[in-house]
This record gives sequence, C-alpha cells and structure tokens, in this order.
Amino acid sequence: MSLLFKQRGAAGANQRKLGLFAKVIAFFVGNIRHWLAALGDIWRDPIPSILTVAVLGVSLTLPSIMYVVAKNAQSVEQHWQSAAEISLFLHTDLSEKQLQTFIKQVELHPKVEKVVFVSNEQALSEFEQLSGFGDALSLLDSNPLPNVLIVVPLADYAFASPAADLLTEFEQMREVEFGKLDIEWLRRLNAVLNLIKDTMGSLGLLLCISVVLIVGNTIRLSIINRKEEIEVLKLVGATDGFIQRPFLFTGLWYGFFGGLIAWLSIELMLYYLSGSIVTIADLYQSDFRLAGLSVSEMINLLLMSMGLGLSGSYLVVRKQILLIEPDSSI
Amino acid sequence: MIRFEQVSKSYSGGVQALQKISFHIQPGEMAFLTGHSGAGKSTLLKLISIMERPSAGHVFINGHDLSKVNRKQIPFVRRDIGMIFQNHRLLRDNTIFDNVALPLVIEGYGLKAIRKRVETALDKVGLLDKARYYPNMLSGGEQQRVGIARAVVNTPPILLADEPTGNLDPKLSLEIMRLFEDFNSVGTSVLIATHDLGLIARMKYRTLTLTRGRMVQDGLEASGANGVES
Repeated sequence: MSLLFKQRGAAGANQRKLGLFAKVIAFFVGNIRHWLAALGDIWRDPIPSILTVAVLGVSLTLPSIMYVVAKNAQSVEQHWQSAAEISLFLHTDLSEKQLQTFIKQVELHPKVEKVVFVSNEQALSEFEQLSGFGDALSLLDSNPLPNVLIVVPLADYAFASPAADLLTEFEQMREVEFGKLDIEWLRRLNAVLNLIKDTMGSLGLLLCISVVLIVGNTIRLSIINRKEEIEVLKLVGATDGFIQRPFLFTGLWYGFFGGLIAWLSIELMLYYLSGSIVTIADLYQSDFRLAGLSVSEMINLLLMSMGLGLSGSYLVVRKQILLIEPDSSI
Repeated sequence: MIRFEQVSKSYSGGVQALQKISFHIQPGEMAFLTGHSGAGKSTLLKLISIMERPSAGHVFINGHDLSKVNRKQIPFVRRDIGMIFQNHRLLRDNTIFDNVALPLVIEGYGLKAIRKRVETALDKVGLLDKARYYPNMLSGGEQQRVGIARAVVNTPPILLADEPTGNLDPKLSLEIMRLFEDFNSVGTSVLIATHDLGLIARMKYRTLTLTRGRMVQDGLEASGANGVES
C-alpha cells in the first residue's frame, strides 16, 4: 500500500496477497500480540504499574463495597417490608363464631393479601418461650392477652398512607379494640436507605471518575517516558493507531488488575466481617448472612474496571501521541 | 524522484532556513547534500519526510505534491522513504532483529516474511550474526549499519541519510558509503547530507551545496564551491 509509488505493489516489493480470512486472522493475531506486549511492558517496568494498579484497586474497592452494602441493606429492607403488617387487637369478649366470621370478613376484604390469626393461647405460649417469664406467667389465673389478627395488605396498599387508611377502616369495626401499624419508623428507614443509596451512587461515580483520571495520568506519563520510541515509530511510518494500541491495551490491563484487587479485597473484607455479622445477627435472632459478589457481579466488576481503564487511556492517548513529533535531528 | 520547486522555509522568529531551493534528483540517482551546520541540510531532509512543511514552494516525490498529503497519510509516505540518522535512533530495549523488523511489523508483514527480509537486510550490512544483540552491545559503526538495515528492510525507493558518518572514522565512513552505493546500484535514489567534504571528493557524485539556506552549487564537485570551507 504505497501512497506515492503505484508501481511498488506491482514490482513485488510490497506485494501481499491476503484473503479476507487471512486479514481477519492477521487482525486478531496483531491485537493479541499487542495485548500480550502491553502485559510484557507492565512486567518489565513493574513499579509504577504496581502502584497504579494498587491505587486503582483501592479506588474500585470503595464503590464495590458500597454496592455490597447496598445489596445487603436491600435484602434486610425486604425482610422488613413484611413489617408493613397491621396488627388488629380484638375484643376479648367475642364468641368463637363471631371470631370466625370476623376473620372471614377481613380475609375477603379486597385490599387484603392474607391474614394470620394468633389466638391468645398461642400468643401466651410464645411469650412464655421467648420472654423467660414462664414461671411467673403460670401464676396468672386468666390469659391477659387478646386475640390478634395480623393483616397483610396487598402490595399496592402496603405503603405508608394507604396502609394507614386501611388501619382506620378496620378500627371502625366493632370487633376490633385497636389496631397498630408502625409506619413512621418504616418511612424513616426508607428515607435513610434512599439517602445512603444516593450518597453511595454519587461517591461511586466520583471514584469511577478518579479511576479514569488515574489511568489517564499514568498512561500519559508512560507515553512521555517513551517519547523517543514513539518518535522512531513515527519516523519509520507507524500510523497513530499503531502507536496508540499498546497504550490502550495497557489501560485495559490496569483496569483488569485493579478490578482483580478490588474483588480480592472485598472477599477478604467479607471474610473478616462475616464473623461479627453472624454474632450480631444471632443476637437479633435473625438468620441474616452477609452476601458477597456473585460470579456475574464479579465479571461485571472486572468488565467495568477494564472499561474505565480503557476510557482513561483513550482520553489521553490520542492527544498525547499527536503532541509527540520527531523533530530533533532527523 | 525528489523535486523541489522554489521551496522556502522560515521558522517562527523569522529564521530563514531555506530560500527558494529548486533541484531535481532523478530516479536511481545518488547525490550528496552539503554545507555548514545550520545551512539548512536537515531542514531540507525534513521537508522530504514531511517532518516540516515548506513555507512556500512545493516538494514533489515521484510527481506527487507533498503539500497535498494530509496528516493521516504521512506515515504511508514515510514507509516509502528509508531514513538514516547520525545518532542511529535505534530502540535500546529491543534486539537488533526487532529494530530492523520494525518497519515490517508496522506494515503488517507475516512472521515468515519478516524473518526472511530482516535476515537479508542484516546479511547485507554484515551483522547477521548479531541479530540477537542489543544496540548498546554494538560499536558505533555497527549501530549505524543496523540503522541502515532498518532503513532498507522494506526496500524503499528513496533513501535519506543525515550525517550518517558523523561519528565514524574515515575507514568506517567509506564502508558505510559503499553500502549506499550498493543500494543505489539496484535503483534506489539516495540523498546523503554530510559535511565530510573529503569523503564527497573521493566519491564523485552530484553534490548540492547549501549556504545559509541558499543553493550555491549543484554539480559534481564540491571542494571548489564558493563559501564552503573544508
């Protein structure tokens, strides 16, 4: 492919007969070669690379930890969503028949998902087991606890205000002594969780930007370090694309190793924390377990960090390589 | 092959490097470019390899006006020009083989073709047995020969050399010049910038003499040229 000498190709000097298949193969081989060469460059000059990769790892660990925390918080929150239940405390003077009719009536209510009836005996025995007042309770001559009907509203009515409306509706019924719906704390929890999520989102964004900038700056420095080599490449007719490629691949590698470090540190951290989480969960009688990153999330993390590394290098490579022109002595 | 038409080059700050230079080097011709340091030799070579653009006038290679070559096409022009530098400009971290192979790798040759061509080029400059060495393990003359092998490995029709013998003793210089003659004898146009007038006098080739950016002589002999000291 000679620009100035049409006859060069015909003369055989530059003649290359490549089919489409061979070209595709050559393209991939060329790219793989560059990809490995970039790894080799990192290996040959490891100190700046290790430092960069470590910084990237830490930068990526923070948003990933936030992601893990948000994910676990969500599972806890879902657990607490069932707290949007309405407890109806019934009058103690209802007959068995009245009770059954009332339960049926509430169950058939169009806004109700399901009901759970907790009789006063059930409640008492549960209380005996959990409170440790077993012996003291046996001194009581009658059961002081009321029958309780736990009403789970349909998902559409589980939010704060429709659930409160539903509660007032049930409280109007004459079988109900009073109802209880602890909604304020749920609202507050939701608000706090949203705040935490938004904070994490913006912090994560900032840290991702910092990854792009760190990779960009490292690549910029390594381009400046290899100024002489780039000049020679330009002198012997390398296109800008050819010169850019190894640096782009280096950015990709930085992203990959940074992501790997982030993943490892998350796993270590989870391992370190899991003990204390289990203790807390046991104290709260919860079977909550800290969930780490799944395989697909891990692959996403790696792909994302590689993408960030690539975009970081892409940002600087083009401009920086344009700036280097061979001009000292020809 | 290389034609200059009223080419002037001034750098910012008003330094006039070249003034109204015109000459034509025929295909297959070998010529010397001489003059004091600062006479504009390097600038002239830079205009051919488009490291600089002329302020006025036109440079043609093989009838193509270089002012019509855009930034993206420059690499392809340079692939047709073998360039040799006084300071060799070899990559220190690469072996001799890899240095010489560079132009071929850039053009996307296959491994087999690369090996064949690099070995031919290294054989030509007598360094085939040092293909696995690194540049700093070679002497100055050997490094220069590696530079020449790199310049000719893709058999370019034009060879430019800027003070190729600048750091070499007379015997080595002559060896290098013989190499250029060999390449010239197979049809390559060769333009060598040098201030080694003794060497030029021995070689009997066309000599372009520059003084303060002007072409003062274009002919066979350089030693009698006005304003040129030996």
